[in-house]
Formats: sequence, C-alpha cells, structure tokens
Amino acid sequence: MSLLAQVDSVKAEALGALASAADLPALEQAKGAYLGAEGRFTALMKQLGSLPREERPAAGKTVNAAKAEIEAALGARRSELELRAAVPREPADFTLPGRRRPSGRLHPLTQVTDDIVRAFRRLGFAVADGPEIEDERHCFDALNTPVDHPARDAQDTFFLDQPSRPLLRTHTSSVQIRVMEKQQPPIRIVIPGRVFRRDNADATHNPTFHQIEGLYVDKGVTVGDLKGTVEAVFRELLGDDVKLRFRPHYFSYTEPSLEIDFTNALVRKLGKEWLEIAGCGMVHPKVFENVGYDPEVWSGWAFGFGIERIAMLRYGITDIRLFYENDSRFLAQF
Amino acid sequence: MKVTLNWLREHVDFAWSPEELSERLTLLGIEVEGVQKLSGEFEGVVVAQVLSRDKHPNADKLSVCRVADGQGERQIVCGAQNFKAGDKVPLILPGSVLPPKSGETQPFAIKVGKIRNVESHGMMCSAAELGIDPVATGHVAEDGLLILRPDAVVGQPLAAYLGRAAGDVVYDLEITPNRPDLNSIVGIAREIAALTGNPLRVPDADLPAVAVDAKAPVVVRLEAADLCPRYTARVLRGVRVGPSPDWLRSSLEKVGLRSINNVVDVTNFVMLETGQPLHAFDLDLLAKLDGVPTLVVRRAAAGEKFVTLDGVERTLAADSLLIADPGKGIALAGIMGGRNTEIQPTTKDVLLESAWFQPTNIRRTGKSLGLRTDASYRFERGADIGIAEYAGRRAAALILATAGGSVDGDVVDAYPAPVAPRAVALRNHKVGELLGIALPVAEIEGHLRHLGLQPSARTPAATDEDGTVVDAPVSWTIPSWRVDLKREVDLIEEVARLHGVDKIPSTPPRGAKGSHPYDAVHDVLMEVRRCLAAMGLDEAQGQTLVGDALARAASPDVVALANPLSSDMNVLRPSLLPGLIDTLRHNASRRNGDVQMFEIGRVFVQSGGQTREGWRVAVALTGRRDAPFWSGADRDAKCDVHDAKGIVEELAERLGIRGVAWSRRAEPTEFWVESATIALGGKQELGQLGQLSPALARRNDLRDPVILAELDLGLLLARRNASRSFKPLPGFPSSRRDVAMIVAESVTHDAVLAAVKGAKAQNLETVELFDVFRGKHVADGHKSLAYAFTYRAADRTLKDDEVQAAHARVLEALKTGVGATLRE
Repeated sequence: MSLLAQVDSVKAEALGALASAADLPALEQAKGAYLGAEGRFTALMKQLGSLPREERPAAGKTVNAAKAEIEAALGARRSELELRAAVPREPADFTLPGRRRPSGRLHPLTQVTDDIVRAFRRLGFAVADGPEIEDERHCFDALNTPVDHPARDAQDTFFLDQPSRPLLRTHTSSVQIRVMEKQQPPIRIVIPGRVFRRDNADATHNPTFHQIEGLYVDKGVTVGDLKGTVEAVFRELLGDDVKLRFRPHYFSYTEPSLEIDFTNALVRKLGKEWLEIAGCGMVHPKVFENVGYDPEVWSGWAFGFGIERIAMLRYGITDIRLFYENDSRFLAQF
Repeated sequence: MKVTLNWLREHVDFAWSPEELSERLTLLGIEVEGVQKLSGEFEGVVVAQVLSRDKHPNADKLSVCRVADGQGERQIVCGAQNFKAGDKVPLILPGSVLPPKSGETQPFAIKVGKIRNVESHGMMCSAAELGIDPVATGHVAEDGLLILRPDAVVGQPLAAYLGRAAGDVVYDLEITPNRPDLNSIVGIAREIAALTGNPLRVPDADLPAVAVDAKAPVVVRLEAADLCPRYTARVLRGVRVGPSPDWLRSSLEKVGLRSINNVVDVTNFVMLETGQPLHAFDLDLLAKLDGVPTLVVRRAAAGEKFVTLDGVERTLAADSLLIADPGKGIALAGIMGGRNTEIQPTTKDVLLESAWFQPTNIRRTGKSLGLRTDASYRFERGADIGIAEYAGRRAAALILATAGGSVDGDVVDAYPAPVAPRAVALRNHKVGELLGIALPVAEIEGHLRHLGLQPSARTPAATDEDGTVVDAPVSWTIPSWRVDLKREVDLIEEVARLHGVDKIPSTPPRGAKGSHPYDAVHDVLMEVRRCLAAMGLDEAQGQTLVGDALARAASPDVVALANPLSSDMNVLRPSLLPGLIDTLRHNASRRNGDVQMFEIGRVFVQSGGQTREGWRVAVALTGRRDAPFWSGADRDAKCDVHDAKGIVEELAERLGIRGVAWSRRAEPTEFWVESATIALGGKQELGQLGQLSPALARRNDLRDPVILAELDLGLLLARRNASRSFKPLPGFPSSRRDVAMIVAESVTHDAVLAAVKGAKAQNLETVELFDVFRGKHVADGHKSLAYAFTYRAADRTLKDDEVQAAHARVLEALKTGVGATLRE
C-alpha cells in the first residue's frame, strides 16, 4: 500500500478511536496511540523521508492536512468530555433554602428616632444630647416648674440614693437648659433621649422610655414658625395626609402652650377623630431669664413627643414592653 | 483695559503705593488682572546738591562730601575734582544700577561700601557714567561730574529734570460688562475720586472762540436715528499730519496701542481718556451736496460692499449702520472707518466724528462681520451719550495743540431727541436693611454724590442732622455714564462698594444649620449600629434600671435608686451586659436559642464618690453561629469567643482604630469563666470579652455558651480615625513562604508576631496565621502553628535569593524568639 493510501486509512482509524473514547483518560490514551512518539500516525510521518525527492512536497501536504484534522477532532472531543466531566453527579435543587448571611436589624425605636432626627435635620436642626442623671435645677427649676408641681412629686421621679438627690431626668427638656447655658442664640437643636418616670410597667407604661424634642431660639420667632415646623416634621413622619390640630394647654416652661392632636386614615381606622401626639409652645420668658437670655431680644419655641408612641402608631404595636424585651422574633420584623 | 499709574494721577490725587492701588481697585469691584512695572530711564538717579566737600583722610585724590538728596543728607566719597559745595549733580542711590557701557555685559550696581575706610552711600555721576551727551542736554562738557543747571530741583528724578521718560506702572483691569464707563482713564479716576473724596480733574476741552458762521461747515443727516440718536461733527482746517509728540506716543504705547499719526493718535488718546470712541475723516475726500460736505447716517443696503481701513472689502447686511457721504459709505458706524476717507500725510482738513450708536446693533454687525475694535467694544457695552460733544471738543483741542490748524465753525450736534437723565429713588433705611449695618444718611448721600449722582427731590439740608435714617425716598439723578444704575438696589450696591464690603461685619448664619457637639456623635453612633447590624447582630434596647444582683456581678460600682419600684429595678445599669443576659434569658424562655445581639446605651458607675455616665457598646452571642442550613459538618457550631473577637476587630477596623491589645485573665471570675481585657494603645482600658460563667448562665436558663463583649464607646469614638488615604496597588508579584512549627502552649500569636517583627526581615509584607493544631505528633503542652509569610517589594520583582535571605532571618527569630521547632 502506498504511503498516501496508508495515511487515509490510519487517519480514519484515529478519528474513530477519538470519537469512541468514553472519558478523558481514554481520550489521552487514544491520542498516544496515534500521535504519540510511538504512535501509528507518527510512524507514517517518519516514512516521508524515504520517498523520492519529487514526491515529497505533495505527500508532506497530505500528511500535514491529515494531522491537522486529527488534532482538531482531538480538541473538539476533549472539550466535549471536559464539559461532561464538570456536570455535577447530582442535580442541584434550586428550591432548597439558600445559605443565608443574615444581616441584623436596628431596633424599631432606633429606626423611628433616626427618621425623626432626619426630618428635623432637613430643616437645619443639629442633634444635641445631655446627661440622663440630672439635678433639680436643670430638670425643673430652670424650666419654671414650681416646687409644688405634680411633676416634681417623688412619686413620679426616680432619685438616686445620694445626699445631693440627683434624679433621672423626666424629660429631654433639661437638655434645652444645658444647651442654652452654653450657647448663644440662634439655637436650632433636636434632642432625642431616654427619660424616666416612676410608673409601673404595663401595656402603655415603662419606667424607661424615649422622648425627642426640638428647640428653636432666634430673633422674631413666632407661633406661626412653630406650627410650620411641627407640620413639616409630622408630614414627613406620618405622611402627607396627616392633619394637625393645636389646642391651648399648660406647660410651665412654655407660654402660650399647646397640645398637638393629629388625624389620618390610621386614626380613623382606630375609630377615633383625633389622637394626642405632642406638646409644644413658645419658650417662657422666665426660662430665657434663667439661662441669661434677654426675652425682649429672643423668642423661641419648643416641642416634644414620645418616640414609643410614634413607633407604636407606625407599626401597630399595642404593648410598650415589647420594645424592651428584645425578643428576636419581634426585632426581626422591622 | 489698561491704565497707568501716572495717567491716573493726572486726573485724581491719591497717596497709595502701586500695590495699594491694585488692592483698592479690586475691592471696588475692578479686578486687576495684571500689573507691569515699566522702568524709566535713570532709575534711582536724583538731583542732589553738594553741601560740603572735605579731603579724604586716607587718600589724596578723593574727597568726602555731604550731599542733600531731597530726603536727607548722605555721605559720599568722590574721586572727581570739578565740583564745589553748592553744585547740583546727579546722584545714584544704593540699590540702583548704572546703564551698562558698551562692552560691559553686567550693569554696575551701586552699594553702600567703604572706600579707604570711609563709608559712601551712593555715587555722584559723570555724563559718561550716565550715558548722556552733556552738550546736547545743555550742559558743559568737562572731566568729572555732570554739573546740573542751578535751577534743578533737589530730589527730583534725573529723568524728570532731563525731560526723559520716567517709570510707570501699567494695570490690566477686567471691566465687568455692566460698567462701560470704566473703559476709560477718567472712569477709573472717578472711582478713585469717589473713594478718596479727592476732586476729579476732568481733561480740558477749551477751543478758541470762533465766530459762528451762518453756513455750517458740514451737514449731518440722521436717517437712522433709532440706531444713532446722536452724532456730532467738527471741522478742523489746515492740520499738519505728522508723527505724534513723545508724550502722546508713549501714553498710547504703554497701554498697548500703536502710534499712527498725530490726528489718529489724538482720537485714540481721547477714547482711552474719556471712553468715547472718535473717528477722523479726511474732509476733502467727502462728496459734497450743494457745495457743502454732507454726512448721511443710514442703514446699509443689503449686500452693499464697503472697504474698511484694514483694506478688507466687506459685504454689509441691511441692518448695518453706515456713515456715508452723498455718494458712498465712508465708515462702518462705531466699528471701523473706511479706506476711502482715511487720514493721510497729505490731509489738510479733518472732519471729527463723536457719536453714540445703539449697542445691540453694533454688536450684531461686528459679530456678523467678525470685526471687533476698541471702538466697537465700547459702543457694544454702551458709551456715554452725554459726552459726545465734549469728547469731540477735547479731541479738537488736542489736534490743534499737536497738529496745528484751526476750527472751522461750531460743532454740528445732531441730537434730535436728547435723553433725559434717569432718576432712581432711594429709601435710606433700605441701605441698612440690605447691608446689615446702620449708615448715617450723610455717608450714604456722600458716597452717591461722589459718584456724580445728584439728589433732585430733596435738598441736602433736609438730611437728618443726627444721621438717623429717614423713610422719605430721595430721588437721585443718574449721570449719563452710569448706564448700570437702574433701581434702588443698584444705588445700595454703590454705597456698599464705597463704604467697603470688607467693613460690613459678618453675622451668624440665619435660618441655617444649628450646631451642637453631639450632632456628629449621633452620626457615628448610627454608623456603629449599621456596622454591627451588617455583621448579623440585631439591636437590643435594654432597661436602664436593673436588679442589683446581676449588676454587681458585672461591676461592683453600681448606682442605687433611693426610691425604686421593685428589687429587680433598683439600680442603674453599670454595664450593658446584665440587660443583655436578661434579653438572652427572655429569648431562651421563648425557645429562641440562637441569639446574636448588640446594644448601644449609657451606663452609670460610681467612682470616687462621683456618678459617671458613659456610652458603651456590647455584644451577646449564644447558640448556633450560622443561620440554619441543611448541609456542612460545621453547620451546628456554637458561637465561641473568637466570634465576638472577630466582631470587635471588624468594628475597630471600620472605625480606623489601631493598637487594640488583648490580655487573658489568668483565672475565672464570678462573672466570666474565661475572659480577656481589651486595651487601647497598651494603656487605656477599652473593655472586656469572654464567656459567661456557667453558674450565671444556668441561673438564666442558658444552656449554650454565652459569649459577651463590652467596649467603652466614648473611647472608641475619641480614637476613631475616619481619614483614609489611598495606597497604590502592588505592581509586582509577591513570594509566599509557609512555615509550620511547634511551640509551647504558652506562646501566643502576639509573641510570634513580636518575634517576627524583631527579625526586621526586608520586604516582608504580611504574616498570616492559617492553622492551629493540637494532637497527633504534637507533644502535650505544645501546639502546631502554621503561618504564611508574603514578601513583596514596591518597585521590582524580588529575586529568589533575596526572599530566601529575608526569610532565613524570620526562621532564626522564630527559633530563638519563641523556641519554635520548625516542621519540615
């Protein structure tokens, strides 16, 4: 048989061997049998040199074309077998639960507080803070709360077991005094914080709870400014459909003093017309005098409310104690 | 626009240095874009008078003289012989240089020095030293000093004495588009006059009286009065066109204009001086109508061709304004004259135009032709219609002075509808309301008067004597050059400029952001919360009031209530941990066994009789580490102390805190079964971390290990470092060497790191622990540690032997430093 005839038949055999290799090791074995150093096709190539000179170019071309064909077939079969080998033995069940990387949740009181703070900051307020252990001056006297005022009753306030009778602040208003003692107007602050009242815990009371209040002192501040800011904050907090009502009230540290009721679809769903939400008023001149501001020059307003109350309304929570139990199933809901 | 110091000084007095002038102009709203000092001739050379002449003590041919220089007396040592006391001579002051003589490359600088031990403060000069021809300048040629004329003024610059150019300063000013009046020397001088209160010297424009001829020398026909509401023309006859005198040429050249001839130079000079562009025509080249030269101001025919002075033939649009004679266009109005009527050396009779053209039309024509000139620049912005006649008169006077000739007839002033001066009302109290300062009425009105405004509705006498602000508005007549003053607030701005904006005190921002130190803390606390939540921890909010039993186990320094409600709420929390343990207990009782939480809150401790509150952050972990999953050997692994430590490390890194050190407590405590204290910078106590004592855990129904950590948040915040800076990414490959070794159980990771650090191995980038093993093949009381060491240089690929050498040092340090037995 001529060399060229042998090339054709060995090529056909090689292609057949590659195609029938069932896995990658078998494929490599087939490759060795034909293209390896001792392979059959390699042996044919070695015979090229023994041909007459004039036959060599044509024969060389034929042999090379055949070799390229075998190598292409080898590459294609290898890719096919590799892909087959990579497919997992068992199919993945994509309906199985994934491997979770759970992120934690911020406490609902933190979330509500930050939302309120953000609403105030948008209006140019800075966040302020003060101590939770207070003295009577900052908590009551400077705020124009008379000695016989019920708020000062030991029944309602926690005192520390110390001779100077420090107390746990009953409202964040004590921070107003601390800031005004240190800074000159204009003042524009929002004060979130913990406060304490000597109430036994029940569905609506906890001895520890949170308040937030705003204080604005400048020249020419009016009740109109107060109403405008309160409305802006509550619209942001409770939605644009919220309606507010201001009722005259009494707080010792504001004059005039107002209570704020609100209503929206949620309130009406609760079967009520209005819900009380906050207290406010124009800072009492006596308070300004107590911190050394001239009430003839400066005017201002303050308003404050309970954070738990807002959170309970927002999420429909009916028991304040849930906030402090930190049940992980509760926390995971916010 | 360019102005020079000396030119301004011709029109107003001011005592400012060149630098101060810059500053003042800038604060007036005229920005100085560039300042160029021009040195004059004989800089530093003044006229001096010899007061006495004595022989030098150490030299026969020298004399020691006392000399007056106009400022004081100086001692000068001099070698010349041709002078005596009383003579006036040129004196060059120390710090100045003599002009270089031919052949010299370095000018000769004069310094204070000693000549034969006698100090000399300057040098008296010869004509040769100054490079002056003595005879040509009217002096006697002789050896020695140049003896000046006896009438020379002592102290005068020699340049002034000789009539040569003196130094000057050129200011390049940026004139805002609303103030076309400032595109002139007079305009700038007027601002300086208003600021200083010194009078403005307006250039003279006196012409010899001429008999008013019955026949006008020229006729002006305004056919487009909407585009040219005013056109003035003057005729000068018998003018000799020639080069300009030195003062005229130098004035133009200093501000960047080329000198052409005396007539054209005068028109440019007056434009620079007054802001009014002018044009001079050769009258004899104008066509006549009925024997009289006639000017027609008309719109061009669409497509009309016209060759401007620059020789370019331009095709005009129908709305271009042309100055024409009865037969042809002779000037592109307000932009450029025509070649056909240009002033030439042979010109005898001159027609001088001074007009006012409508700005938008000039702008449109100039833009469509791509032609912008000094004239169009000024007309575009709005010239002063009120000075058209004056500026022409001023130019005529200067042409007579520089080129001779005479005025023929009176001016022709075509101004069919004179513009009435505008009036703007100002309520003086509005000035204070807008500026925020109380200015006396006298000051307000003084500033406006200085700018040329006149109160028309109220006499100055009605001004309040005590200077209080009154409500009655004052109507101010606006001068024709101030096209920008249109309403009250424009006048207030003028008052602010002249009063000085820098003198208006700043007041705190109104309605702006409030401020409190806690504002920034709030943000960091939120950042810490989000960071911990991102690591999978839920946030808890515990009670501030806790029971004293658990509280005292956590900290002995508790603050007790005087009037507690109950024994489980009778003290303030000294730590967040008791509250968190309570939270774990609550969850365990609800069968929530896997809890990972944090809390941020305040704690209260008694120390030294003082009650202190401080922020803390605490972490509590119990139960399974990972979320439930259905596969994996470690899936039910419980949390251990390394979980809590990883959280603390991650938080510290996020806050940019370094130098956190951990030290294990040797013995269990009542609270902890095993724990570590955490310190910052080796000193300050940051907190603690560990596993809760099983007795306490059991008491709270907690079965799995309870891992707790608590940090002083105040300290964390104080040490927080929020700044980040980029380090270039490595550009060269690293080499890694792994080391496994056996060490005694007492050898800590920190001790290994310290030993490695002590090796000072070059290019060691990172050291990473990747395995800790006890058991098979490791003796009791020992452990196997495996570390990966990465070597990398920033500037090259490390060679293998370099890495090998560095790594050998590390291995040696491990053997000697921590007694490591290396595992091969």
